[in-house]
Amino acid sequence: MNIKRDIPTATLSGFALSAVLVLTLITILLQYLPLSQQRVGDALLVLNEKEGVANVVTTVVVYFRGFDTLGEIAVLFIASLGVGLMLQPNTECRLKAESNFMLQTASTLLFPLILLFGIYVMVYGHLSPGGGFQGGVIIASGVLLLLISHKNFEVPHTVIVAFETVAGVSYVLIGFMGLLLLDTFLGNFIPHDIANMGMLLSGGVIPLIYIIVGIKVGSEMSGIVQNLMQRSDDV
Amino acid sequence: MFEFLNQPEVIKTIVTLGAMSLFFVGLFGLLTRKHIVKVFISIAIMESAIFLLFIGLSFNREKVAPIIDATQTQVATMNDPIPQAMILTAIVIGMAVLALGVSFAIEYYKLTGKTEIDTMNEMRF
Amino acid sequence: MSSTLFIALPLLFGFATPLLSRLGKNALAYTSVLMQLSLLGLALSLLLAHSSTTVELISIAAPLGISFVLSTASLLMVLLFTLLMTLFSLYYLFQRRANAYANESKFFTLLNMLLAASIGLVLSSDIFNIYVFFEIAGISAYILSAYSKTALALESGLKYLLTGAVASIFLLFAIVLIYLHVGSLNLAVIAEQFQLLPYNVKLLISLLLLIGFGFKVEVFPLNFWVTDVYQGSTSLVNALFSGIVVKAYLFVFFHILYLFLPQGEFTLFLLYLGGVSMLVAEVAGLRQTNLKRLFAYSSLGQVALIFVAFAMQNIQAVQAAFFIVIAHSLAKFMLFLALASLEKTEQNMHIDRLKQIDSPFLMVMMFLAMLSLLGIPLFVGFVGKFLLLKSLAVEGMLTLLVMVVVASFIEAIYYFKLMGYMLHKGTRSEKVEVSLGEKMIFVSLGLSLLLLGVFPMSIAGFLQNAAEVLLDQTAYITLLVGG
Repeated sequence: MNIKRDIPTATLSGFALSAVLVLTLITILLQYLPLSQQRVGDALLVLNEKEGVANVVTTVVVYFRGFDTLGEIAVLFIASLGVGLMLQPNTECRLKAESNFMLQTASTLLFPLILLFGIYVMVYGHLSPGGGFQGGVIIASGVLLLLISHKNFEVPHTVIVAFETVAGVSYVLIGFMGLLLLDTFLGNFIPHDIANMGMLLSGGVIPLIYIIVGIKVGSEMSGIVQNLMQRSDDV
Repeated sequence: MFEFLNQPEVIKTIVTLGAMSLFFVGLFGLLTRKHIVKVFISIAIMESAIFLLFIGLSFNREKVAPIIDATQTQVATMNDPIPQAMILTAIVIGMAVLALGVSFAIEYYKLTGKTEIDTMNEMRF
Repeated sequence: MSSTLFIALPLLFGFATPLLSRLGKNALAYTSVLMQLSLLGLALSLLLAHSSTTVELISIAAPLGISFVLSTASLLMVLLFTLLMTLFSLYYLFQRRANAYANESKFFTLLNMLLAASIGLVLSSDIFNIYVFFEIAGISAYILSAYSKTALALESGLKYLLTGAVASIFLLFAIVLIYLHVGSLNLAVIAEQFQLLPYNVKLLISLLLLIGFGFKVEVFPLNFWVTDVYQGSTSLVNALFSGIVVKAYLFVFFHILYLFLPQGEFTLFLLYLGGVSMLVAEVAGLRQTNLKRLFAYSSLGQVALIFVAFAMQNIQAVQAAFFIVIAHSLAKFMLFLALASLEKTEQNMHIDRLKQIDSPFLMVMMFLAMLSLLGIPLFVGFVGKFLLLKSLAVEGMLTLLVMVVVASFIEAIYYFKLMGYMLHKGTRSEKVEVSLGEKMIFVSLGLSLLLLGVFPMSIAGFLQNAAEVLLDQTAYITLLVGG
């Protein structure tokens, strides 16, 4: 039996082209492996001892490189807006069958726990691994669980919009407060004693912003997931 | 017997080879596949390859995670936090673009029934 | 006054859209235009204040964190973008009653986000921050392109998104390599260290940056998607693409290039790349019969002309580049807005339609814009082309000079064809309503083309200063890193 298939020339040439490109890349990368050297991150680690919170990644994400995070929130916001714009309500595509009773009960029981865990990850983002993005995505995964297990479940569109608007606006307003009080956008204007590092109430504006980011990410991801499941009630 | 694997050069070579072979898979898919969802998957694979390359090459085995707690207070022994922060941002952006692309593709499919990118040529007339 | 306002205010308005649209039917549109007007006022007042380059820090000091640099060069672009966006919003308001977009609040959100991102690209001094703005501008442009949700629009949106996603992978790859080898993300620090890198790494990073930005600055082999996107999107949105988005990407690409490679290592390669893309675009434009597609090819040609001028990397040529940027933005804005006025009544954009339209006003306005694009004396387009040819002659780049002249002749052929169609005698049956407000926008754009063309000296000094600032690598480094 001949199991050899004819491979189209397009595939072969694509294979050859990408192989050549990647081999060149590997050669250059291996020739000059970046080993230990002075990086900006080390300076930020030192600076973190004076101005930061216990989780240095959080300080970098929210404070030292705060504008990146603002921009990233904007990207997510626009994407969820675009998904909502594209996928108009289409009731025919709703799940037809009611899912299993066990799945329904279990997911109803699990959802509060997932929500709690998401909020925990969000609120303790400046002390332990985790933070707004991770917490927000955990919450959205809980919403996804409910969406696939309950035929008629839906987070009301207005709730999602309200959360994301309030979160987005307050993020920029906190930035403006920093500009007014400290003369730098997103400055840390809430008193933060560095001796408190490691406490829940520490770091001034940093945990606040990360919670806002969490709310925003959670609501937007839930919105995207819900829209992709064709259950949008967008008018 | 395998102690030589702990040397930073060896680790970094392995990371580079692995990430670049993943990049190759994505690039190959991007150049040869026609189905729109496969193209999106190829793009996602290429992105992950770059994330892996960055984290792998900037990671130092001897250092710990950059979180200050009761047992870890020396910043000199901590890993660089910037790559992690950058990749966190890049992952979210990549996901947002993919979600948007998939929604475009769904809507386009509903209107025209086409899924292959080489048949998308409404403009030629 | 703070340059962060230029980015943060539009972002705030973007986020607050649902709140504002609750306030009343027109609240969002009016406040949004008011915000853009106040930004324009702020930019004008900064221009009149003649201040030196300022650095605006975000959270922490310059080489470590993100900062925004407002120099003469970036102020020029900010001014251009806010002006065009304000005119765009006003135009949209004036024609809204006849031709409102569906889900209008989302449209305004996208406009404000696009404005914030284009200004952010121009101001930011941090390469990863530039990547983030690159993505915001890209993603709002994809949605604007697919906005009308017809098969054509969705196809163009998909093509835009696919190329944009690939471009961003290469840009991210370049940024990753830069951070691994230089250890910083600040443009000034990278500029300082870039020359010390091994040659292969330098070459690889430059190539990755060229591919990443090449898709967005529409340079020859990577511009296959542009015409499809222009044809599929509405003319209104095309005005933004060719007036604002491309210009922001061009500026930031050359800003990075001048900083990283001040000696002009790849100048010759880039120059010929630009020359070839110009010729290819103009030749391909010759046989187009769709107005949108035709203007897209003309845009490609003009953008390649700007590319050549920037790639010359000397003060006279960069000054010429700024002149062409202004001329092209204003003229293409006018042409696409005129097409948008035509599109209100009918979608058909075949060039034969020009023979039927009975609207002397629009005809005159399109005529003016085309004359400026062709580089006829008395228009600002002439000044730019003349300065560029002069500096090419001074540098002895005769091949390129011939290429530019040939490309201009080819462009002239199809523009004269269009003008012939517009002057065609015969029954003109199709009435086009142009309201007074719309007319005012067209007249102000046309007048600025003429005035800047007649009195180029009024801005020449400013543009020369901008070119000097943009090319001065050491001043930028001193400003951000310190002595």
